Amino acid sequence: MTTITLANRGNTTFEVTGRRPLLDELRDQGVDLPFGCKYGGCITCAAKLIEGEIDQRSQVALNNRQIADGYVILCVARARTDCVLEIGTESHDRLYRNPFLDPLEPHELKADIATAKETPDGLHES
Amino acid sequence: MECCGPGYASPSEAMKAPREEILYTIAIYTGTGIQKPDYLCTIDADPASPTYAQVIHRLEMPNIGDELHHMGWNACSSCFDDGSMSRSYLLVPGVRSSNIYIVDTATDPRAPRLHKTIQGADIKSKTDLSAPHTVHCLGSEIIISMLGNAKGEAPGGYLHLDRDFEILGRWENSMGDIPFGYDFWYQPRHNVMASSEWAAPNTFMPGFDLEEVGHLKYGRRIHLWDFEKKEPKQTFYLGEDGLIPLEVRFHHDPDSTHGFCGAALSSNIIHWWQDGSGDWQWEKIIDVDNEPHPEWPIPVPGVITVILLSMDDRFLYFCNWLHGDIRQYDISDPHNPKLTGQVWMGGLLGKAPEVNGLQITGGPQMIQLSLDGKRLYVTTSLFSTWDNQFYPEIRTNGGCMLMVNCDTENGGMEIDPDFAVDFGKEPNGPSRCHETRYPGGDCTSDIWL
Ligand code: FES
Repeated sequence: MTTITLANRGNTTFEVTGRRPLLDELRDQGVDLPFGCKYGGCITCAAKLIEGEIDQRSQVALNNRQIADGYVILCVARARTDCVLEIGTESHDRLYRNPFLDPLEPHELKADIATAKETPDGLHES
Repeated sequence: MECCGPGYASPSEAMKAPREEILYTIAIYTGTGIQKPDYLCTIDADPASPTYAQVIHRLEMPNIGDELHHMGWNACSSCFDDGSMSRSYLLVPGVRSSNIYIVDTATDPRAPRLHKTIQGADIKSKTDLSAPHTVHCLGSEIIISMLGNAKGEAPGGYLHLDRDFEILGRWENSMGDIPFGYDFWYQPRHNVMASSEWAAPNTFMPGFDLEEVGHLKYGRRIHLWDFEKKEPKQTFYLGEDGLIPLEVRFHHDPDSTHGFCGAALSSNIIHWWQDGSGDWQWEKIIDVDNEPHPEWPIPVPGVITVILLSMDDRFLYFCNWLHGDIRQYDISDPHNPKLTGQVWMGGLLGKAPEVNGLQITGGPQMIQLSLDGKRLYVTTSLFSTWDNQFYPEIRTNGGCMLMVNCDTENGGMEIDPDFAVDFGKEPNGPSRCHETRYPGGDCTSDIWL
């Protein structure tokens, strides 16, 4: 079992098994969470990971900038360690941006089309 | 001609129908932070009524997070000759959940009730389709464009339902090499269907990354189908002139081959037709220029998110969701449209931040025209995630509906000063209004065989 702390719900804590997506485990314990598609493709259930490690390999909704900003897709995410999360649309402050005013760098696109980031010493990171 | 089925014998008969007294409009909480189901509103559109321009009924769906979007009837004028059919059920799909709600509007038209739910999970397991969009009836059956497979990948296909709303499977025999789906319309006398391209659900649902257009993740084609063979037969590659082609409309006149589509990102209107030698041609007939913005380093595209034709096929209406204007063009000569009217509400250019005492958040988006062509109802929300990107204040302000009076003699439009529905004041908090339909059919619902 791992412990999930909801930072913007008065630091309430919940024990989860990690065997099912966090959305289901938390909702089963009475946490009111937004969701839509439930397969990791629509972003409605996004939350912000403040601390801890999460496996969300099957999500396809987030671009690399959103991932770098800590967003996780609860409908497919499983906790690997104890985690601190901010949930709900209050956590979405950096999730949405005007695409004309704030373009993405090539390495910030979604994983399937992102290109590696050029670093000054010639090394690549993605 | 008197007959027994639903709808009207012809578009010109439809224009003589009694004035709409109520409207059905989608309102959503998905993506707003309010944990309530999306709902179908009944709005009083009878000026003699004490509750004129108010929401008089709300049918909440049984789930949250559906993102209700577009909707369609179980039957339309295509069943005019079939006395066993009636226009009694509105099909209301949730694009995120893939649930499809069948709403009974006949028992009490002012207070529609849920008749049946087709579960998204069922649709996925039986047809490998998700993300329902456009609903058209097809004689006594129904087809719905589905924008993805069960995993939200393009191109999806078409869900086929029988008259009792049982899943028959997929309608199409082949998607050919169509990369994306979105809207469609068919013109049976010419055995043709036209379909357009948005993107894969996994691409457009999380929001709009402009860079993905360059990576070919968004559409730029219109497809013509052999309607009887249920397979695509020709593609118009629109290229830069047709980025993100959305709403597709054929002329209402069933003998016509002329059709139109709004390319949202290019902000162009595309027109196609069959020429004298039987070949299908296309051209760009309207090009909305990008506009400078006081605070933006780059000019703002119009973003044409909807188009609509009046029942007599004389006027084309469309909205520039980011600019904030609704335009009316006389398309009596479809090759040479003439701008005859323009009004402003909301938008990013700051031309009409307030209308009828209402602060407008968002821009003009879905429109629906009365059958007689005189009243255009307009709502402001596009899609929850895209709203959040371009008009983040819509979270707290909600959407709104206005009515535009249209001059059908000389052309021209004027926003009606007495009609405004503020979805910012809904009982459960600010919601966002989207598509509108009328009980008797409207200018985007009916097709004639
Ligand atoms: S509910 Fe759609 S991504 Fe989680």
